[in-house]
Amino acid sequence: MEIPLAATLSRAGQDYLGTFKAMATPCEVRVETDDAGLGRRVADAVEAEARRIEAKFSRYRDDSIIGQINSAGGRKTVVDAETAHLLDFAGQCFDLSGGMFDITSGVLRRAWRFDGSDRVPGASDIKPLQKLVGWKKLSWRAPSLTLPAGMEIDLGGLAKEYAVDRALAAARAITAAPVLVNFGGDLAVSGPRTSGTPWHVAIASVDKDDAMAGMLELVGGALATSGDARRFLLKDGVRYSHILNPRTGWPVKDAPRSVTVAAPSCVEAGMVATLAMLQGKRAELFLKREGARAWCIR
Amino acid sequence: MKIRLRVINGALAALVAAAACASCTASGPRPWERDLMARPEMQLVPYPLQTAADEHVYFSKEASSGGRGFAGGGCGCN
Amino acid sequence: MQLKRRKAGRVGRAISAVSATLLIATAASCENSAVAQDFYGLDKAGRDNFGPGIAYTEFDGALLIYQEAGGRVQAIEPTANLAIHGARGQQLTLGAVADAVSGATPNGAVPSDRTQTFVTPLKPQGSSTTVTSASGGSTVIQLPPTPGQLASAALGRQYTTAPNTLPMDKGFRDHRAALTAGWSQPLGWVSEIGGGAGFSREEDYQSITANVRAAKNFNSDNTTISLDLNGEFDSSFPFGGVPTGLTAMNAQFKPVTTRHKTQLGFVLGLTEVMTRNWLMALNYSYDSQKGYQTDPYRVISVVDPTSGEPTSTLYENRPEQRKSQSLFWDNKVAFGPTVTELSYRYFTDNWGISSHTVEASERINLAKAWYIEPNVRFYHQNAANFYRAFLVSNVAFPAYASSDTRLSRFDAITYGAKIGFRVSGRSELYVRADYYTQSGDGHPANAIGQLRNQDLFAGTKAAIVQVGYQWKFH
Repeated sequence: MEIPLAATLSRAGQDYLGTFKAMATPCEVRVETDDAGLGRRVADAVEAEARRIEAKFSRYRDDSIIGQINSAGGRKTVVDAETAHLLDFAGQCFDLSGGMFDITSGVLRRAWRFDGSDRVPGASDIKPLQKLVGWKKLSWRAPSLTLPAGMEIDLGGLAKEYAVDRALAAARAITAAPVLVNFGGDLAVSGPRTSGTPWHVAIASVDKDDAMAGMLELVGGALATSGDARRFLLKDGVRYSHILNPRTGWPVKDAPRSVTVAAPSCVEAGMVATLAMLQGKRAELFLKREGARAWCIR
Repeated sequence: MKIRLRVINGALAALVAAAACASCTASGPRPWERDLMARPEMQLVPYPLQTAADEHVYFSKEASSGGRGFAGGGCGCN
Repeated sequence: MQLKRRKAGRVGRAISAVSATLLIATAASCENSAVAQDFYGLDKAGRDNFGPGIAYTEFDGALLIYQEAGGRVQAIEPTANLAIHGARGQQLTLGAVADAVSGATPNGAVPSDRTQTFVTPLKPQGSSTTVTSASGGSTVIQLPPTPGQLASAALGRQYTTAPNTLPMDKGFRDHRAALTAGWSQPLGWVSEIGGGAGFSREEDYQSITANVRAAKNFNSDNTTISLDLNGEFDSSFPFGGVPTGLTAMNAQFKPVTTRHKTQLGFVLGLTEVMTRNWLMALNYSYDSQKGYQTDPYRVISVVDPTSGEPTSTLYENRPEQRKSQSLFWDNKVAFGPTVTELSYRYFTDNWGISSHTVEASERINLAKAWYIEPNVRFYHQNAANFYRAFLVSNVAFPAYASSDTRLSRFDAITYGAKIGFRVSGRSELYVRADYYTQSGDGHPANAIGQLRNQDLFAGTKAAIVQVGYQWKFH
């Protein structure tokens, strides 16, 4: 499968900056170098990895592995090693979150459309969908996955952070120069900039005026942000975040509007942020208890 | 001989009891705590040819055999 | 702005661990293992290229060199193993072994302060009958004619032992080749079901083995229970025929050419992942052997009750039934860059033998791709109830008697070390050397006459060296 690469390369201060759009998000990679050729190679490698993962795990494509699994109609699908590892990870996160993180909960979006309106579904809309939710209902034993008919899996909650980590690894395989990979706010760095100076990362505000809510200095690891800046419903003064509790079928109550977590990898940061959001009003307590380096906005 | 058999039978009962307990208390590390067990050197027999060579030498030079696997050497060296 | 770092809680640590596992595993399967391992800095083993759900093949080759002190037995044994792992947990294993053994081996007679002579059958016409000292110091002799026997069969092989030395047969030489094959796979609710067979053939012995095995995992795969049933059918066809036990050693060809032995047994195993660092295994085995278990070449001296001089030499005789049990307990603990292994085995049988074996090894992973692993083993066994260092001429012979040191009471210690080098993420080269030494009572209280001045313990001291190579590929 030919992946057409279309990143735009430009000079930004000390860095070469590559930008492209993938996974419905603006993506960028910065590499601190004076070598334009290196900038182009790094941008191409990062974009290639992002598009590969998007094509492979997108639920919108019939030819992706997720598309095949979801259209198997109750029959068994044999998956490759990379998908197997992601499924194992999803299963382990299901266990350690007490069932709150569940990649089978995507079917609930058929009832919930988070378009900023006040159209909140009723119990009769949600009940039939709940029968199709539940990690324990499917059969996963590497390398075969069997989904009962009607159920779907959705790796959207993992794929972007996973893509950030894999894209960074691809960039590091090419160069030892400082690299920052940022896919729509989920980002990771290879290490500090030259002579040990940190990267400066702005945390976006959740309000429409897009002013900065804060600035972080990053010398290593990754950041991930979970939030509802654009996807929410507002009815009778109650804000329904787009994070749904798979056990009830309803949005998590009183979730923070944004959680940003710093961790050694983007996958880890993203999972901590998601689990924090799922705690609703206990998000800050959860983050504090787990010793996460995190920043909540309510 | 009877006494020795009894000692071993006690050990066998302990093995069965340990097995029964192991399955009913659902103990042990959770799946994400199994990272160290995946290291190749943590397998019970990571170097089968080395283990086989040792068992062959000891089978030929001593009166006992087996333990890890079945006793007997498959050779005439004892 | 600084985000405060606090001590990670339980869920936080769990997420950290599963994330690292995911990234290293997927990096390895996408051939970026070096980058991923440096980046995540956690696991330098490069393991998940070859894990469950991934089809791969592993080839192992090794060469063993065994040398006993004092010009005794030496052996060279090349071995090879091929294991083909399927993506769905199936496994096919093929193995091959060859060995060439030669040297001198104690024949079981006691040393004497006089020269001793021993006769054994000679290889028949067609093979070399000219004997030089290179053939082990034996000479061809003419035997007194026996009515009805061919003249050519009236030749024998004679060798002598100098005074005050342990009698050894120096003409000992054997070649062996063996093949094994095995298959295992998951089946329904049974985690693993499989079987195997083996065939081994040497110049005077053949062994056919077969086994079936079933195993079940419980408890999130932390516990495994297994049952292995095994059987063996051996044939002994010693050169010169099978002698009758406790009859005089002679050079005639014996009328019985082949004797058999059958063995049936089982191993019940329990493997348990006790904690994140500690793996434990407990095995109980039971074996029953019926048939010929005597060493057809081994003799026992009959000595004079006063002087202790050997007056005759008889073939040994062992019981035809042997039931044995063993309990084996193995522990492996991972601490940082090290893996410690500690195991204990207790063995007992109805020949009156019981033994204790303790083994310990410590593998230390060093920087880059090296590791060292020193090891030690302690062994103690007591004597079989029919073990006799010698028989006395004025005492009625027991039904069974053997002077084989391997059935006597002794201690043994092995110490050595291994060095390994990971040539790449897929292959490894290792070398190990061990020194094995047996010690026992050479001056038992029942020694008579000149035997009091002899060392009656014929145990071994040997060096064991092995070089091996392991290679995994898709």
